[in-house]
Amino acid sequence: MEADRPAFEDLYRDYMGRIYAYVRAQVGSAADAEDVTSQVFMNAYQAYARFETRNSTPAAWLFRIARNATLDHFRAGKRRDRLRRTIEREPQAEEDPAGQAEERIQYRALLARVADLPERQRDAISLRHSGLSFDEVGSLLGCSEDAAKMLYHRALKALREAVHKEQA
Amino acid sequence: MSQDDDELELQAIERQLEDAFQTTRPRPDFEDELWLRVQSSRPAPRRFRDAMSAFWNGVREVPAVPATATALVLIVAIGVGVVALNGLGHGGGGASTSAVERAGAPAAGQYLAGNFGKLPSPVFRGAPKSTTPGANVSAQQGIDYAGPVQLAWTGTLDVHLTTAPVFRYREPSSTEADQFASALGAVLRGRPSGFLGMYAAADYTLKIRGTVTSPPSSPAYFIFSGLNLQPIDAAGGPQDLADVFLAQHSLQPQWQYTVGVDSSGDPVKVVYQRQFDVPGYGPAYVIDFNANRYGLEVDLSGNRPVLASGVLPLSLDIANYNVISSADAIRAAAGSSAPSADAAVPVAQLDHAELVYVLVPAGDHSFYEPAFLFTGKVQAGGQSYTKHVLVPAVDPVQRNP
Repeated sequence: MEADRPAFEDLYRDYMGRIYAYVRAQVGSAADAEDVTSQVFMNAYQAYARFETRNSTPAAWLFRIARNATLDHFRAGKRRDRLRRTIEREPQAEEDPAGQAEERIQYRALLARVADLPERQRDAISLRHSGLSFDEVGSLLGCSEDAAKMLYHRALKALREAVHKEQA
Repeated sequence: MSQDDDELELQAIERQLEDAFQTTRPRPDFEDELWLRVQSSRPAPRRFRDAMSAFWNGVREVPAVPATATALVLIVAIGVGVVALNGLGHGGGGASTSAVERAGAPAAGQYLAGNFGKLPSPVFRGAPKSTTPGANVSAQQGIDYAGPVQLAWTGTLDVHLTTAPVFRYREPSSTEADQFASALGAVLRGRPSGFLGMYAAADYTLKIRGTVTSPPSSPAYFIFSGLNLQPIDAAGGPQDLADVFLAQHSLQPQWQYTVGVDSSGDPVKVVYQRQFDVPGYGPAYVIDFNANRYGLEVDLSGNRPVLASGVLPLSLDIANYNVISSADAIRAAAGSSAPSADAAVPVAQLDHAELVYVLVPAGDHSFYEPAFLFTGKVQAGGQSYTKHVLVPAVDPVQRNP
């Protein structure tokens, strides 16, 4: 193992909550967020032996895995269901007390709006507010740091418009 | 809107986003559930939460209807455990006398019957509360037959006891939990909801929980191994490996027990089943609300411990109480039959009975009380089920209904 590579357990303890929040902002339901977060860390654990710190920070590496897992999740059709529910204004089932507890989260509505943004805007917001630098966001999204900043700014404005529409 | 207003509004949204991402976290148990999964390196199920929820309900408040599938195989005895007689710390003797002396009670053999006052009666979820002397209650179990049943006693119960010990403990505080953790070399990391504390050691995470009232579950500790916890390098079977692990962490049971090994799944479970010694009877198992014997459990994935759990060691006070006779216990068990007029009701042949101990939570102090556990088989719908009937052993006069 590389000398400067943290123990996987440390990585897990440090980032699990942030990865969950990132995923949660993407998928819009706690149950799906747990599934995807589980997959992220299973994948990360399997791949950790190949992780090299000279190529990426642990955060960027983990969020790349998280982003891929989220995309896989959407490809599996979950997003279609979520959109359908949104359009039809069906309440999403909360299966257990944990789900009910989550109702208490103050900013749930805001994250739901983030989840409805176009994919790249959603990613820019979620990655940035998960603690990544614009350089890391750009790297993950395949663009420059400046382009990541612009994308993020556009996403903020789109979010504001969504809030205005909701309030109108 | 002016450009300044525009900018302020965007900044406000940014602040809200910052707060939203900072405060959005999974439910408290998810972190440890997933960590267990990662360690086992098995494919995550599509609904990871579903697969683990029964176990974690058990940790927080043992489930009313226990799951029987994967989660149960994974960690049945996590939500239960054993109260050691020797108090906090490790390596002390298990003699009840020492526990009594610390509590300022009379020495062994000098107990006054019923000196804890009237005891609370065991209550089992889904079963009618005992309202008449000797009335029984049914223990709940996943494979237990839950429908109405005729009960027939075909065995032999030859117990000649007039009194049996009742054990009492004071509800542990976070200070006691901290002391336990400290003795293990673990450092406090926080006090998550539902737990007395969460602690970190070099190669594992420790969580400690107090008594759960319903369904009854003892104060317990849970050790989640870290990735740097090395596989056990020792020859032998699962019990040998578990013994080595417990010895390495000074967690060996200080009480009487037998060992059960469940190798039917991964992880393999090694359960140290606690027994209380009853003068004139012998060892009596402590059972949970499912009628399962419990104590300390070590879960092994290969030769690597992934989880260990047991009841937080606490000092026990002891007092002798009058108990009902075997004949009364049998009558009480059979008396819980469904009305005999219904011909469709199956008959359960109860052919085994033993004295056991059950936890009775009661606020600041809780009790381990003796009971008679009757076991048998019943055929219903072409399937064979187990039937358990539990009859409180303490004389009803000395119990609150």
